[in-house]
This record gives sequence, C-alpha cells and structure tokens, in this order.
Amino acid sequence: MLARDAESLFWTGRYLERAEDTARLLDVTYHGLLETSPAEEAQAWSDVLAAVRLGQVFADGRRPITAATVSEYLVFDPKNAGSILSAVEQARENARTVREQLSTELWESLNSFCLELRGRNLRADLEYQPHELYGMVRRQCQTVAGVAAETMARDEGWRFFVLGWNLERAEMSCRLLSVRYRQLSPSAFHQWMNTLRSASGLEAYRRSYRASMDPADVVEFLLLSRTFPRSVLFSLRTAENALGHLALDGELTRPLRQLGRLRSGLEFADVRELLQGDLGEELHLVEEGIRQVAASVATQYFSNSREFDLHSLHLMPGEGGIR
Amino acid sequence: MPPDGPSATEADPSSLFANYDRGGFFDEVFDADDQVRPHYAALLAGLDRFTPEDLVRRARIRDAAFRSQGITFTVYDEGEGIERTFPMDLLPRIVPADEWQHIEDGLVQRVTALNSFLDDLYVGERAAIHDGIIPTWLVETSDGFNREAFGIPVPLGARCLVAGVDLVRDGEGTYRVLEDNLRNPSGVSYVIENRVAMTRVLPTVFANQQIRSVDHYGRSLLNALNRVAPPASGDQPTVVVLTPGVFNSAYFEHVFLASQMGVELVEGRDLVVDDHVVSMRTTQGLKRVDVIYRRIDDAFLDPVVFRSDSTLGVPGLMAAARAGNVTIANAVGNGVADDKAVYAYVPELIRYYLGEEPILPNVETYLLWDEDQRAEVLDRLDELVVKPVAEAGGYGIVIGPAASDAELEECRANIEADPRNYIAQEVVSLSRHPSLVEDHLEGRHIDLRPFVLSGGDIEVIPGGLTRVAMRRGSLVVNSSQGGGSKDTWVLAKGVELVVEAEDESTEVESSAIDVEELS
Amino acid sequence: MRLDIRYRTTFTYENLVRESQNELRACPRSDENQELISYRLQTWPVSKVFAFTDYWGTRVDAFGIRLPHVSLEVVAESSVETFQRPLLTVAPHLESLRDPSFISAHHEYLLRSPHASWGRGIEAEAVRQRELVGDDVVSLILALHRVTGARITYARGATEVGIEVEEVLSQGKGVCQDYAHLAVAMCRSQGIPARYVSGYLFTRDDSVGADVTDGDVVEVQTHAWFEAAVPGFGWLALDPTNQKEVGVRHVKIGHGRDYDDVQPLRGVFCGSSSPTVEPRVEIRRLRTNVSPVFERHVRDPQMEHQQQQ
Repeated sequence: MLARDAESLFWTGRYLERAEDTARLLDVTYHGLLETSPAEEAQAWSDVLAAVRLGQVFADGRRPITAATVSEYLVFDPKNAGSILSAVEQARENARTVREQLSTELWESLNSFCLELRGRNLRADLEYQPHELYGMVRRQCQTVAGVAAETMARDEGWRFFVLGWNLERAEMSCRLLSVRYRQLSPSAFHQWMNTLRSASGLEAYRRSYRASMDPADVVEFLLLSRTFPRSVLFSLRTAENALGHLALDGELTRPLRQLGRLRSGLEFADVRELLQGDLGEELHLVEEGIRQVAASVATQYFSNSREFDLHSLHLMPGEGGIR
Repeated sequence: MPPDGPSATEADPSSLFANYDRGGFFDEVFDADDQVRPHYAALLAGLDRFTPEDLVRRARIRDAAFRSQGITFTVYDEGEGIERTFPMDLLPRIVPADEWQHIEDGLVQRVTALNSFLDDLYVGERAAIHDGIIPTWLVETSDGFNREAFGIPVPLGARCLVAGVDLVRDGEGTYRVLEDNLRNPSGVSYVIENRVAMTRVLPTVFANQQIRSVDHYGRSLLNALNRVAPPASGDQPTVVVLTPGVFNSAYFEHVFLASQMGVELVEGRDLVVDDHVVSMRTTQGLKRVDVIYRRIDDAFLDPVVFRSDSTLGVPGLMAAARAGNVTIANAVGNGVADDKAVYAYVPELIRYYLGEEPILPNVETYLLWDEDQRAEVLDRLDELVVKPVAEAGGYGIVIGPAASDAELEECRANIEADPRNYIAQEVVSLSRHPSLVEDHLEGRHIDLRPFVLSGGDIEVIPGGLTRVAMRRGSLVVNSSQGGGSKDTWVLAKGVELVVEAEDESTEVESSAIDVEELS
Repeated sequence: MRLDIRYRTTFTYENLVRESQNELRACPRSDENQELISYRLQTWPVSKVFAFTDYWGTRVDAFGIRLPHVSLEVVAESSVETFQRPLLTVAPHLESLRDPSFISAHHEYLLRSPHASWGRGIEAEAVRQRELVGDDVVSLILALHRVTGARITYARGATEVGIEVEEVLSQGKGVCQDYAHLAVAMCRSQGIPARYVSGYLFTRDDSVGADVTDGDVVEVQTHAWFEAAVPGFGWLALDPTNQKEVGVRHVKIGHGRDYDDVQPLRGVFCGSSSPTVEPRVEIRRLRTNVSPVFERHVRDPQMEHQQQQ
C-alpha cells in the first residue's frame, strides 16, 4: 500500500491510544488524590507529567504544578501537541486522509467522537465533572477500537493500525512503571494501586495476585503478564505479530528483529532478578527499545516521504544569486 | 409484450401531473399536444401508484443514503468547506434507442476530430492552422494552449481520454453541443450512484425493462488507460489516479473512480521521479507507475515547468512524460480545444479532419472579434447570451433577456474593451423535464453530459449525467451553483419499457427496511 | 568566430537536500548566424540527462538528483562557430507593420508577456521616439534600442525577478535582462514584434561588452539581449546593455517572449535552506587557420568586399 497511507493508519492507532491512556491517567490521579494527603498532591501531579514525559514544560517554575494546571495542559492546551484534544484531532486527521480504506462505521465513530469533544466546554468539565469527561473519552476510544476490530479487514492497513496502537500502549505502561518503581516501601501501597488503575488493571491484577500490593508483583503484572492486554509484554507481542504479517515471505526486517529481541528479553525475564538489579535502567532500556522499533518501522515502511517543502530555483543571466 | 398499463396515446397523467404546465418549452415527457411520448408511457404507468407523499419520502431516503455514504461535493465559502449532496430528482430522464444512436454517432465524430486537432497541434503539422481553418492567434492566445506540451506524443493520439460533452435540446428538440469539457470533466460518479440509488428507492419502475447499464464504466476507463500506457510498460501497466487531495471539491469522485478500477489513489507527494521514471512510494519501496489519470489542472502538475508554488504536483513529471516513460491522461494542453472561442470552429474541424458533416450541431455562436458579428451582437445584447472565453463553471455569463440594464451596460463595456475574450450565443430554449418540487411535479430545464472514452476506439457510456436547474426558471445547471441531477436511461434497442402490476404492499415493506437501515 | 564556452554553476546548501529536479537551457543553438559544433553536460552528483528541444527551439537538458547532497555542480561545455550577420538592406515603412500576414506570423511576439508588459510610461517614451524618427521601422527600432540604453544605468541588485518593466524604467537601473525586457516592451508597444534572447557574450565585462584585445579567455555571466522583426528582412538583433549590434562575439542559446521562456536554469529542490549560487561562464576564443569567410562569402558580401580591396 502507499507509504503515506500506512503511516496515517499507524498514527491513527498511536493517537487514539495516547488519548485514552492520558484520560485514564488523569482520571485515576484526580480521584486517587481524594484519598491522600495534600502534601502528596504536588508529587502526584509531577508524576503524571513524568509519565507523559512533559515535566520540562513546567520546569521553568512559571506555572505551579496543581491539579488544575496539569489537567488543563494535558486535556486541551493548544500548545500541547500531546493533549487529549490534540491527540483525538490528529487521529481524525490521519484517518481522514485514508478514509476510503476504513469502514464507514469506523470513520463515523471517530468523526463523531472528535465532534463531540470539540463541542464541549472542557474548562467547565474539568472544574465540575472531570470524571464524566475522562469516562467519555475512554468509552469513545474503546468504541472506536471496537468498531475497528469488528469492521476492518485484516489487511496491511489493519496491521499498521494495530502496530501503532500497541507500540503506544507498551510505551505508556513502561512509563507508568518508571514513575513508580522507586517507591518500594509499604506506605506506597496507594500509589501502586493507582498505577494499576491507570492501566485499568486493578481487577485483573487481584484475580492473579489477590490482595498483595507487593511492588514486585505489580511490576511483574504490568511488565511481564502474558494475559493482561495492557502489559508491556502483551502489547509488544501483539505488535510483533502485526509486524510479522507485514514482512514479505518471512523476511526478517529490521524492526521485526529489534522488536523480537526486545520482546524475548522480557519473555524470559524474572522480576526478582530485575528488582535486585537496576530496574530503573531496565525500564529505561525497554522504553528506548520501543522508540527504536518505531523509528525502524518508519524507515522500513514510511521512508522517502517528502518531509521538506519544495523550493523553486531560478538562475538569471548577469546575476549571481537565487531569487 | 404490450404494457399492462395505459397505452401511450391514452395515458392520463396521474395526480402527480395535475396542473403540470409545459410552459411552451420542448418537454421531454409531453409532446406538443400534451400527449405522453411513447418511451415515457411505461414509466408514468409505473409511477401512477405513488402519491406525491410517497415520492417525497423516497427522495428523503435517497438524500440520507447519499449523505451517509459521503457522496458529496464540497462548496467552499470563506475558507470553510460545506459538504453538500448533489440532489437527484426521482424522475429519470429517458432516451430512446434511436435518439441515443444519433447522439452517440455525433459524439464519436466530434471527439475523434478534437483528438486529431490536438495531436496535430502539439506533435503534428498544425495543418488546420496552416490551411486557415482556425486562426493562429486564436490558438496561440488561448489560455489552454500549453507550450510545455509541445512535442510530447500521446499513444494512439488519445488526448481526450475522458471527454464530457455538454448537450442541450433546443425548442425544436434538436440536440446541440453546448460545450466541450476535455480537461477534467467530472460527474460520472453521480451517473453510477444515481442509478444505484434509483434501484433502491424506486425499484418497481425498473421491473421488466431493458435499460442499458452504466456500471461497467470503471472497467471501460481502466481499459482505455491501459491502452495509452507507454509501449515499454508491458501487459499489466500500473495505473494510478492522481488527486489534489481531500480538500478538492470532487475528491469523492476521485476515490470512487480509483476504487471502481481497483487502482491506487495517490497525491503528488506519493509520486517521485527518478531518472525520468515515475514511481509511487509504497511500503515495499518504489513501484513504477506507467499511466497517471490525473484530476489536477495542468498548471499544478509539475513545479519545475508550471507553477513553482504547486505542492500538488510531481517535480520532473513532464520530463518523464516527454521521455516516454509515463502517460499523462487526459493529456496536457487539451484546454485549447475546449476553449469557448475554439468551440465555434469545431464544426469546421470536423469537416477538415474527417471530411464529414457534423452530426451534432453547435449552438449558434457569434465571434465578437469579428467586426460585423460584434456590431450585430451589441445591437441585440438583450436577446443573447454572452460568455467570457476564459471562465469555467458557469461564472461570468450574462443572459441578455434576464439581465438588468446596468448589467447589460457593463457587458457592453467589457466586450468593447476586450472583444477577443467574449463570444455570444443565441439563447437556447433548453428542454424541460418534469421534476419533483416539494409535493408536485414542475418542469425544470435540463442538459445532458455524456462521457466519452478514447483509447483507440471511442466508447460512449449510455446516458450520462442529466443536470437539472433546480430553481424555477433558472437555466443554470452546475452543481456549484445549486443544480441537481437525474438518472438517465438509455433504452436498449427493440424493447419498450414495461412495468408489470406488482403487489405494492411488499414494496412498501422493503422500503421501510431501507429507511431503518439508512437512518 | 570560433568559441569554446564552459558554463558552470555550483549550488551550495547549508543543509542536506534530498531531491532536486531541474531544466537547463545553456546550449547554443544552430541557426543562420551560428553553428553548434559540440556540446556536453555533466553534473555532480551524477545524473541522467534527458535532452529535448522545446517550443521555442531551445535545447533543454532535464535532470534530477535523488541522492542527498549539499552541493550541485552543473557544467555545460560547448563549442560554437559564429558568423557575421547579414547587412540590413531594407527600409520598410511603419505601415508594413500592419500587414495582416506579418502580424499573423509574429503574433506571439506582439502581445504583452509577464516580464515585458508596457504601461503609460513606456508607451509615452516609445511614442516620443517614433515622432522623432519618422516613418521608418529600422530607425525606430534603433532609436528604441538607444533610448533603452540611455534611460537605464547598469546596476546589480537594484532589480528582482518579477519586477514590472515600467518600474525598471522609472527606477532607471537594471541588469542585462532588464534592458532586454524594456527594449522588447517598447518595440511591442509600437507594433514591432520583439523577442527576448538568452546567450553568451565574449567580452571582459557584460555591462560594457567591449571587444577582447588582450587575450583569448574571459570569465563572465550569461547575457541577455533582444531581437526585433523587420518586415522583409527577418530578425534584427541588438544588445541594449552595451549599445552594440549583436555580432560574432554573441552566442545565442535561445529566444522567447521574455525571460520565462528561456531561463538558463529552473527547477525545484527539496530541502530547508536556500543555496548560495556561484555561476560562472568561461569563454575561450579559438584562433583557427581556416577563415570563415570562404564558407560564408554568400552571406557576407560586405566582408568579401573588404577583403578584395
């Protein structure tokens, strides 16, 4: 298929997942803080910024780190290309350019999601009913994903969509862990629970690990679970499967090799060993690995896109110089 | 098999036609004695069972279907794009077989002559100019005359790969050519979609008849494109449709055609020229392209040679075409032949290149750069239609009988300032066709745009787009100015339209299912 | 005169350029006044060149580069023999400009074109000259040629591509293409068909155009002049920048309605920065033993006459 179309579908998947993950993170943090002390509030919001890698924006100290400022920034600030509003708009824009390759239902569900979001007074929502807003975003993202899964043929376009979606998911789960992994004392119980909630994994976690909130168990669940869809390993396996389908005649493409290595590293990891070693470094390497895979995917499949503007060139007699 | 319904000469117009007024125009359905023309008898019989409310309801269903499928075009107003459906009137326009044969023969003749003229002009001897059939200055000053196309051959001389020749019917019922569209004629997607829509909302009127199908257009277009591929491209040339992108008002049609033909829809940025060979950027690397069906104007095709600010085109494309590595369809430079001034000479070009009398006449046209003709025209300005040579889409036209004194004065001044930019034509009393207006039928002016494909042989799609001027009394049919369309039926030879009496209740139920599906 | 011409242009970009597609018009044409003996084009990075002749009869070299590069060098080497131009032996009256077949044959060169379009200022000056010289086409052409030189001072950097030629006139400054456009506009305003010419001039200084007496090699830029159609004769070529008749030291690349039709190089590149450009033309005169007179005596009675004295 056209490289540009593949790239659009890849990014549609990424942006949709980004919007959903951000909504969930904000929702959990906001409600988690109702149960914690005020002193922990600033730290919690800092953690949120760290999880989406936007901490430096507030680093100059001009804006305080509060629920209001961080939520606004991550929900609708026009200067934030990673805000929920921005992510949904971009998902729609990308989908629009490949609209004829999507099912009508998929386009319509994404389109109406975007229109609904645009039509809301987001500032008022954040002040009076943030949970309702975040709930709407999560539901709509899940609807779109569901419609996609039900109505798209499993062709090349579908694979790129799944790839983008799952690479984004893996990266986010990884980051949730990196923000939390240092807090290994028992009093960090609530923080670990919130981390699980941010990944919509609390119930699934309890079915496997019961009431334990041992950090080792949470790390194992979110990083290495083979059954929980949001674990890093699970997402990477789904992404790898999609990449495998994209390779012609069983060719071992560069992104496939990189992703395979990354995934198998996790496949055979032991969480106790990880905790004895430098977990922070490990998580950082995994996150870096995911970024490299994304870059290789772009080089392998989307390359040669005309990134720069075309400039015209004229040369006149009697003059040295471009006009 | 004789129709079950009323015979042609005895048919009573149903309540739909109560108070229908032909208004002194040539009417497609009713003749001069207000009798139903034979080829419409069965349709009217079939419509007899519908009340106006039924039709209105079905029209709404059709609108909803078009909207949800995205069969829209975009009208840009102050930078905002508004998606509109191109309204389809439920009453089809019917052309009997012998009339169609006449039209088809005329179209084949005309497009053959135009292809010859263009080929002669750009790669040949320019014989028609040398022999004085058409003035040199007329050709050289035409906006569409493209010097960059000079010397670029087109396989089979099929420069007008897709031509849309606009026909009107005058007060005597004679078909005349109003305008040739040889660059980017659009609208064929509506031809196909209208037929599909009709079969869904008014299925009964199709029963037991033989209307020539139009759904093979995609296959025919692809065949023609394959035939103009460069010789070196082999058995399976790679064909693409080049679109300016989602912001173009006809984008839906580009998507439609690419999908009908099963080829890629690309934008300029998806193509690249390397060593004068055009390729498209795919996930598996560069794939060579042999034929480009481009829906982009000449001026935007190649920033090296044309507008350097165009991001819609492909740098180096013209060199690749010149090197014979890719065919651009429709060819660059066709605009000189659909120029309104050159239009007046087309009958002569037919005589010159084919040695035949034109089968389809032009509308009587006056050339305002000729002193005598200009004097006469200025004398009768309030009776004639004045058209600027350079405008498209129906803009800038002054219709004498409908214009105010101020408008006529302005028109006179424009003509005197720049006579070479204007032609004048007699007002053609366009034929009318009953059309659904709210809950009853009224006559509305129509025209016809058949689509003609060249690729060695010339093929005409049966029927074409019948455009309707939706506003009462209006003669303007363009989509961008509030026109609508009708499904156009060409009857197969030797068979009459026949409708059997069917159980209406089952039809109502199936329509109800449609409503649920579509709402 | 036998001349070897080496046209060389280097584009240097600040950042990597991924793609470049171009058309070069640097090859001298063969016509009644000159003969192209050889021509060769090379580019660095190397590219495949596709050559063709355009609508105006000019040779075009189309080439594209799709390797990332920071500089593009184009070198076109040609060898050409120029001949003496025939003397003007006719003196048509102004009314011959209105002959329908003359107009029809030169129609494209009578109309306004983007860079050679006249307004009141140019028209007024042209009419003034017409009143001065009387009813003689050639005198009028020469007068317009002279007044172009008089009204403009040679100055680089004063004008830009796309400048209206009326503004050139009112500013009074320009380079060779501005002189050429002005002369063309003035001629056309009086019904004299005129065309813009792109080419090379063997001289040390384009703006002056003096003969080269102290050697056989010069380094210049591409040059521009104009040609006016004289009824019953053909095209009269004049160089308004140096106020000389076009002769054996002028080598023509091609002509057109104006600069747009015969740009030495046009193209697009895909990158983020504008390049610095170094164009250079080296012209070398070859002194040959065989006098061109023997091959050309039919065309050049004046020269032969001088020889015999």
